[in-house]
Amino acid sequence: MPEYTVLEHSHPRVDAWEKVTGQATYAADLHLPGMLACKLLTSPRSHARIVSIDTSRAEKLPGVRAVITGKDFPNTHFGSGGLKDRYIMARDEVYYIGEPVAAVAADDEMTAQEALELIRVEYQDLPAVVSPLDALKSGATVVHSDLPKFEGYGFAAGGPNVCTLLDADRGDVEQAFHEADHIFEDTFRSQGINQGFLEPMACAARVEPNGRLTVWASTQGPYQVRAQLAGVLGMTISNVKVIPMELGGGFGAKLRLAFEAFPALLAIKSGHPVKLVNTREEAFTMNGPRLPTHIHLKTAVKDGRITAREAHSVFDVGAYLGAGPNSGVGHALGAYHIPNFKLRSYGVYTNKLYVGSYRASGVADMTFAVESHMDIIAHKLGVDPLDFRTINAVKEGDQAVGGARTPRNGLQETIQAVKERLGLPKKLTSDNPNEARGVGVALCEWRSGSGPSTASISVNEDGTVSLLTGSVDISGSDTSLAQIAAEALGVKMEQVIVAERDTDLAPFTGPSGGSRIIYSQGKAVQMAAEDTRKKLIALAAERLKLSPEALSCAGGRVYVQDNPPQGFTLGQLARQSLTSKGGPIIGTAALSSMPYTPVFCTHAAEVVVDKGTGQVRVTRYLQAQDVGVAINPMSVEGQLEGGVVQGIGRALTEEIQWDPNTGKVRNPSLATYLMPLAVDMPQVENILIRVPSPDGPFGARAVAEPPGFGPPAAIANAIYDAVGVRIKDLPLSPERVLAALQGKDTEIKMDVEALRRAEAGRG
Amino acid sequence: MPRFEYLEPHTLRQAVSMLQQHGSHARIVAGSTDFLVRWRTGVWKPQYVVNLQHVPGLDRLSYSPRNGLRLGALVRVRALETSPVVRQRYPALAAAAASFAGVQVRNLATVGGNVCNASPAGDTLPSLLAFDAQCRIVGPQGERWLPLEQFFLGPGRTALQPAEILAELRLPPPLPNTGSLYIKHSPRGAMDISYVGVASVVSLQDRGRVCRDAKIALGAVAPTPIRAASAEAMLRGQTITPELLKRVAAEAQRLARPIDDVRATGAYRKDIVAVLTQRTLERAIEMARGAEMPFEVQRRLAVQAAF
Repeated sequence: MPEYTVLEHSHPRVDAWEKVTGQATYAADLHLPGMLACKLLTSPRSHARIVSIDTSRAEKLPGVRAVITGKDFPNTHFGSGGLKDRYIMARDEVYYIGEPVAAVAADDEMTAQEALELIRVEYQDLPAVVSPLDALKSGATVVHSDLPKFEGYGFAAGGPNVCTLLDADRGDVEQAFHEADHIFEDTFRSQGINQGFLEPMACAARVEPNGRLTVWASTQGPYQVRAQLAGVLGMTISNVKVIPMELGGGFGAKLRLAFEAFPALLAIKSGHPVKLVNTREEAFTMNGPRLPTHIHLKTAVKDGRITAREAHSVFDVGAYLGAGPNSGVGHALGAYHIPNFKLRSYGVYTNKLYVGSYRASGVADMTFAVESHMDIIAHKLGVDPLDFRTINAVKEGDQAVGGARTPRNGLQETIQAVKERLGLPKKLTSDNPNEARGVGVALCEWRSGSGPSTASISVNEDGTVSLLTGSVDISGSDTSLAQIAAEALGVKMEQVIVAERDTDLAPFTGPSGGSRIIYSQGKAVQMAAEDTRKKLIALAAERLKLSPEALSCAGGRVYVQDNPPQGFTLGQLARQSLTSKGGPIIGTAALSSMPYTPVFCTHAAEVVVDKGTGQVRVTRYLQAQDVGVAINPMSVEGQLEGGVVQGIGRALTEEIQWDPNTGKVRNPSLATYLMPLAVDMPQVENILIRVPSPDGPFGARAVAEPPGFGPPAAIANAIYDAVGVRIKDLPLSPERVLAALQGKDTEIKMDVEALRRAEAGRG
Repeated sequence: MPRFEYLEPHTLRQAVSMLQQHGSHARIVAGSTDFLVRWRTGVWKPQYVVNLQHVPGLDRLSYSPRNGLRLGALVRVRALETSPVVRQRYPALAAAAASFAGVQVRNLATVGGNVCNASPAGDTLPSLLAFDAQCRIVGPQGERWLPLEQFFLGPGRTALQPAEILAELRLPPPLPNTGSLYIKHSPRGAMDISYVGVASVVSLQDRGRVCRDAKIALGAVAPTPIRAASAEAMLRGQTITPELLKRVAAEAQRLARPIDDVRATGAYRKDIVAVLTQRTLERAIEMARGAEMPFEVQRRLAVQAAF
């Protein structure tokens, strides 16, 4: 590994001081003169026609300044992707309990809340469907009867509630199954999950004297909010400015337009600035979470190697396609090379809160299924589970599902590291007759995220540099980007200023999501720093009358390689640049996509299972991840541990509970939606593997999302190792484990044959 | 968040007359840990809030070998947890207090509030029941005493008449050679509402072979916390054997009538009653026989049933 001066050194976050002293400004902290409070009235019906809305009594309540309903917005559909399937506020129909139907702006929240109670909405109930497997059946209740008319709807196939059906095929699957020594089939189900961000959604809007709209938002994607907001308000993008505020967690939930349109339209209507702050309950009932997923895997094995995979994944998307079921095809193979495959992934509407994004949407669900399935196969074949994985693991040069060749990577190194640290294979025992112990492993795979990225770096007269990007910092990324700039320019961390940003100031940048900031945005920063460096060297060369090749840039100076004392500080060059031919020094870079770079990790969990209650406790957790290069090791470890904590919550306790008849969220609070606590966490051990990627900045790979994928499968596999029961349904709750221990049938039922028949029927 | 009038009585008599004056429009608060949540979410909309915090003496905790433990209604849950005499004489109560929410809430919440909230899952309630707590109730007609077992009428419903206030709980002194333990089953190690809670108090005789007295109380498995009387009767006067404990646990399970809710199914809760009853009895018997059980171990057992 090259000798770095800034990278591979831990740096505290550049925003740490403001955050720990409570001075960082979040959207909810915003107070503008004359600001009003916004509250939302939501649908109490699962599916109904809106016969009438009477807001007159609410409007007359003293202190109420404006009331809006869906009809106050332009009649424009919008969507999270290509499919435009929703209105920003219900117009003629409501499709789930919790859908916004009206909004009030009043002098204070209490008055706004009181006004909501004065709005009369007359509904005419329509039939609703809550279970995604029911919605998939032929003759099912239809959620969106106008689906075929939606812009972006691709096909009239798969059933009346299938909004998207993705597929991927390679090789001859039928032949491979025909020739197989063994065929294995399993069905898995994973639960609905809330992202669990600390800061509930908040936003504010103000109409400026020039008619432009300013929006302050808690968002990961200011440019996405700008575009979607302009769309639903019928405005041009240039008339909207989005200021991303400090972000108190997002995990994908804040990638797109959320509630910003309501204070925005109320601000337009009332002439006052308007702010909306969600309650925790609203964070559960109004903001797109993950919904349940059913996954059926069928695998052919010949001579100990996997030869074919058929996968059917059904992603419940709720009322709107808020996030696509892409992982059903992209991640149905796991970290393995499988030459023949047939992969199908369905997005299915139901009358529930629409699906949102969360830490690589759906990949954790797929990883649970694939890695449990791998374990089942290994045990049935009588092979060591880790050896079976090692043999079938993807290798350099193998073709990924998307078609790209797999570049050099550290997958095998992560497996080896875990094997050595834990001394696998091993059998854990317990002295306590009430309990049993076990160990389980899981491999995870993901890719480094791509997408439009821009950066510019200017050199100040005192030798500091200002870094401007459009990326929102959701995980300490500002610190890591500053480190990349510092390393590339040869300056100290303290010399890098990360500029505040908004959509007017910084050029377009993709959202902070999909594990893309360090890999793609970081690349743009590295390129901008190199551009800056080139300009600094060119100026110095001009002044010194030397060739640029004779100069180096490091230690805050540009100097003559053969005579280091001769040269200029960056501050001197910045001052000279003001009167130079080229003018002030600014380096810029932009890119739109980056080559395929996979990320692999190996996870292992040790658990103890209470045989009397079914309760599972994780006693040790180990992960090894190929990070390429650790830009900021402290931050990398923070990401790894945070991901595992989220994954343990997903594995053991977290579950959105839906009323089976109405689709209402039954546990919209942190007292009933059980996120793990510090006392429940084991010591998490991290091993960083460093196999540099060919394209990332300084060889970095994405780190962010994969650590959350492994725990459900690793823990399920450890439970099997401990007590010999296989749970295929998340979470691995005490109740499920005990039922399995009592020999009850816990298999997940899913009619895959019907899906195959439907596909054959479509020809 | 509806507005209300805030009242601060300085004597119990004053508090009673405020309640008489405002009737069902008034609500008593002490630690306010239950009240604030329900007020903020609009479940409770009282016009008057009567805060008992300034009534002197209501937070007194005292013990005498003759009269047992006296707990003023405003004794904090944290005080139950940390009191040396409670830990020594009524370990199941101290352990139950330790399993209650988090420390910040325990610092505010009161034992009287936990009792009057009358949640079937209230964490201190099974232990208080198993220690035969008696309630001193003050009202317009003066004072009356009621066994805690008769205090609970249903979820959130108590035997308090209009304008009556729970002033004090008294727990008789334990018999010699007594052990007790509370185990709460919940998915997390803290901050959870009990899925099932079981408190057992066992007193032994004949050099620890025979059960002199046994009390078993179950939480979160019926509309109120309940005593498992017929299970207790199976133990009294009997020689203790593992088979007997198993049968007693099965009887406790039979008595439980839990519901399905957002936390667990009734069937699962019933299974857990047997497991926890057996485990609390086993541990209580060990303690009654003189086994050392550091509080930290009891606390861990209380919140992490398994381990």
